[in-house]
Amino acid sequence: MARRYDSSTTTFSPEGRLHQVEYAIEAINNAGTCIGILAKDGIVMASEKLVSSGLLAPSKSSEKTYKISQHVACNVAGLTADANILIDQARLRAGRYEYQYCEPIPVEQLVELVCNYKQAYTQYGGLRPFGVAFLFAGYDEHYGFQLYQSDPSGNYSGWKATVIGSNNQAGKSLLKNEYGVTSSSSEEKEEEKEGEMKVEVDGVEETSMPDIKGALRLAVKVLNKTMDATASSSEKMELYVMSLENGQVVHKILNKDEAQKVIDEVEAEASPAAAGAAAGDS
Amino acid sequence: MSILEYNGAAIIAMSGKNCVGIACDKRLGAQAQTVSCDFRKVFQYNKTFVGLAGLATDVQTMSSLLKFRKSLYELREEREMSPKVLSNLLSNLLYEKRFGPYFIEPVVAGLDENNEPFLSGMDLIGAPVYTDDFVVTGTATANMYGMCETLYKKDMEPEELFETLSQALLASVDRDALSGWGATVHIVTKDGIITRELKARQD
Repeated sequence: MARRYDSSTTTFSPEGRLHQVEYAIEAINNAGTCIGILAKDGIVMASEKLVSSGLLAPSKSSEKTYKISQHVACNVAGLTADANILIDQARLRAGRYEYQYCEPIPVEQLVELVCNYKQAYTQYGGLRPFGVAFLFAGYDEHYGFQLYQSDPSGNYSGWKATVIGSNNQAGKSLLKNEYGVTSSSSEEKEEEKEGEMKVEVDGVEETSMPDIKGALRLAVKVLNKTMDATASSSEKMELYVMSLENGQVVHKILNKDEAQKVIDEVEAEASPAAAGAAAGDS
Repeated sequence: MSILEYNGAAIIAMSGKNCVGIACDKRLGAQAQTVSCDFRKVFQYNKTFVGLAGLATDVQTMSSLLKFRKSLYELREEREMSPKVLSNLLSNLLYEKRFGPYFIEPVVAGLDENNEPFLSGMDLIGAPVYTDDFVVTGTATANMYGMCETLYKKDMEPEELFETLSQALLASVDRDALSGWGATVHIVTKDGIITRELKARQD
């Protein structure tokens, strides 16, 4: 039945679905996992690096994390070529806002602009949607640190912690259990409409939000679960931190040693439990 | 009365030994009436300084535009813009408006990747000139050319460059009604940038 209504973006199916958009979302489930976690004093984004060949020459500083402006960065899951177009758009829009108002663009407005651009490819022109999902991390003086997720449909929502890419369901369920222990997911309300977002956060108190170090460990823990490999190493993951220093936003991608330190800390946390279980078994 | 002389300005940029200096006055006027005594005409882009003389509204617009384009460049290329590239960008931006130009005459001064001095000046439609000694722009150019030609020496150390630049500018603006009211001098070396404010005749 769906076959008749899925070849054109501009056609609804009888069930009221846009199949092309849904297929685009499927394309992202094969991409490297990206995790975003909001912390008290910053934002952590961890991603899985899919290295297709050892012969590949790394041209830019990252294949997953991109700086959009002084106060906003994003992680990409999906078709890199599609992502490049959208990242360029985001950079232009952020720059134009700052040119016009001499003020950094509020994070949600930037996310909405990018999402409106994506939405156009689901309604006009006969062009296919972008096969990219983003995690936007940003800081502005109105709402502090914010984390947003956007998908090919042009929908976006704000999160305290979320996962996109392969095995995101496993990642999300782990985050639900482990993030800000006192919060319960039923208290978190979010409504998603095309191009519009309302987020009411009354579940998690400030004190139960992790700090950046805690968020890094949690991110690595989730990444360990979502990655197929049994052994985690700093080559396969990229850890990005956004924080505030002297009132200025600082973007940092952890180098090999710093990343390895976090991985070791997570392993140390896990291994007493493993040792206890092994002793229990015998 | 020329539109380029409506607000008044005086800017000199000079090269020294592994350093550059740029000095500007601080007057903003509406023809004869002085409106402000701390109007910024020199803008910093990493290790490059751009001095914009001419119509004040275009000075401010162009400085914002350059800031936008520099940010975009750094995001895309993941490196800093060298002074030569900035100068070429500015030249392009001006020529884009060939038949309805920005009324500014800029100078660009900076240190390139090898900490070698770079100087350039251009007219309002972007025709550049590259020199290795000094560039001047504004309403007192005749005075400034005379002062620079007399006082300039090659390979001056930062401290001497500061003295020369200051004396050249101060003497030039004193004979020009449309510029003056104080001065700002920036000296760029590989170790950093020193900025000094000069007290001058407040007339």
